[in-house]
Amino acid sequence: MLQGLIKKEDLKKLIASVKKEGTFYGLIRGSEGLSLSELGPDDEVTLDYSNFKMPPKRQFFPFSEVICTYEDESMTDLPLSEEKAVIFGVRPCDALSLLYLDKIFIDEKFTDPYYRSRRDNSLIISLACREPLKTCFCTSVGASPAGKKGADILAFEVKDSLLFEACSEKGTRFMENYPAIFKKPGKADIKARDEEVSAAEKRVQTIDLSGITEKLQGCFDSPLWEEISQRCLGCGVCTYTCPTCHCFGLYDEKVELKGRRIRVQDSCMFPSFTLEASGHNPRTSNEERMRQRIMHKFRYTVENFEDIFCVGCGRCISNCPVNMDIRETLAEVIK
Amino acid sequence: MNNIEIKLKDLVKDLFAGEKIDVLIGYENGSLPLRSRPCFVHSAGEVDRLVWNSYCTNNLAVYLPRIFQRQEHKKEETPPPRVGIIAKGCDARSVVGLLKENQVIKENIIVIGMPCSGMIDPAKVEAALDGAGPYSCQGEVDGSLEVTTSSGEKKRLKREEVTAEACLECSHPLAEGADLQIEGEPKEACDERYEKIREFEAKSTEERWQSFVKEISKCIRCYACRQACPNCYCKICFVDQTKPRWIGASDELSNVMIYHIGRIFHQAGRCVECDACVHACPMDIDLRLFTQKLVKDVKELFDYVPGLSVEELPPLWTFKQDDSQSFITEP
Repeated sequence: MLQGLIKKEDLKKLIASVKKEGTFYGLIRGSEGLSLSELGPDDEVTLDYSNFKMPPKRQFFPFSEVICTYEDESMTDLPLSEEKAVIFGVRPCDALSLLYLDKIFIDEKFTDPYYRSRRDNSLIISLACREPLKTCFCTSVGASPAGKKGADILAFEVKDSLLFEACSEKGTRFMENYPAIFKKPGKADIKARDEEVSAAEKRVQTIDLSGITEKLQGCFDSPLWEEISQRCLGCGVCTYTCPTCHCFGLYDEKVELKGRRIRVQDSCMFPSFTLEASGHNPRTSNEERMRQRIMHKFRYTVENFEDIFCVGCGRCISNCPVNMDIRETLAEVIK
Repeated sequence: MNNIEIKLKDLVKDLFAGEKIDVLIGYENGSLPLRSRPCFVHSAGEVDRLVWNSYCTNNLAVYLPRIFQRQEHKKEETPPPRVGIIAKGCDARSVVGLLKENQVIKENIIVIGMPCSGMIDPAKVEAALDGAGPYSCQGEVDGSLEVTTSSGEKKRLKREEVTAEACLECSHPLAEGADLQIEGEPKEACDERYEKIREFEAKSTEERWQSFVKEISKCIRCYACRQACPNCYCKICFVDQTKPRWIGASDELSNVMIYHIGRIFHQAGRCVECDACVHACPMDIDLRLFTQKLVKDVKELFDYVPGLSVEELPPLWTFKQDDSQSFITEP
């Protein structure tokens, strides 16, 4: 495993080097708060955050994108993205979410070329968590503050430096490309990292999810859903800020015979999500929609992909206007 | 437990004991610091879940239209429930609006007015702690909020510095006209409220447009603002209609703008400035700037303040010969 130490102030050098071949995305605190943005060597990279608001899925699966245009009988696919990107500062929970999205969009039979081209052209540098939030529960769903899954490189803050550890071949190659920037870490650096990691892991709150999938298999018609969903307002905050929610709709926008087809993220919490052409809607209430959201993440994906599609980032909890707390919902199901 | 909370619980228990209500909409403790959340109480035995504190921000009137809307998908017709609702000044004004618009059955609702001293805005607390990470709150002492940061540092934040904007500028803290009142001392009404709006009005058309664009471009189209608003009860919102399709599905700015312009203008003469939309927005869009501008315009043009009287006709329902028409020709 390749390791390298880089002074925080030298990140700028790395950004400048990367810029020669592609785009460097990192966190900056602007007028609109903290967001993943394209960085130049003069931008101040923020390291001081717990997590950022919109999940990194947006880099690969944007809210909306034009996928083809058409005129009369001819149809033109939009060119695939060729932008080489380094994405720095993703938290380990969110890096794991990308592996789940890969299962959806990069399937043996059906591969989504738009998603895939962006994924193939990107390198993920995760930043290990030091200060989990009150809404974090990553360690209960297979992620952790220093989890490597989904990362090409995992970075740790060690005093005034960052310790980079390659987690994939791609990550190793990247670090080998910049021999002048990375120094060999000392034993003290490794020790400091280990201490930080174990302290952060202890701070993550845990929930007991044993048997959740089996429980969900037996409670489709439970009155529980009505009870739990009473205060839900039916907005799309939980799904749109979720790093693994990936449902989308296709829309044609045309004037006479000329138009474009766009793919737009959709939310199972909206009534229109299941509206059929006949006008019939099989999911008429919040209760059924919430059941679907929970079942999809903790049962159907386990049945189909052997993974719970939740990484414990807590965005659905912290952003919910009425404090729906998925941890409580799951506890109710298990009870 | 505070005095008001005890009085409230006793009163609600009496309502259940006297079989006056089937359900009470109130607040319970949330799962995060500084967060109480809506809850539904169905019997006297559940009343002890109720809380009343400085974190009861949600406008509970949002649940009324859906409670009273006929459940078309249910095979059996059940009689509408009798509902008790805990109401701050703003919630009560929303109830008045909903009564006026026939979304609430008057005979089936009991409004319990609370002496509201203004709610704490967690976003302001976080800003005051300057990104100090997770914190816990020990409650209020002498007009200050006591919080402990994750590093163990104790801080006192002055209440008025972390009070929600809507509450600082609240003109009707007391739920006047409520069916029942819990006595206590509400905050004083604020008369001097439109400073920000006047600043906004003083800008050029281009600058105002740019402010609008800047705020609205943060939108992720989650519709939390719509869903949190008691006034947004349309069965199918114009943005969800497909024939005709009024608005494109993408997040291109023009679509996002049409949604917001549509939503905001539908609030004219109806918005009670509760800021439910502002608090619901995950992207911190300053929707207050726009809704409050409308409130001010409606007051100035039609001398009308929403949510105060069930009988008074709202300006957009009626036309009077002497109605102001100045806005029609305004550039």
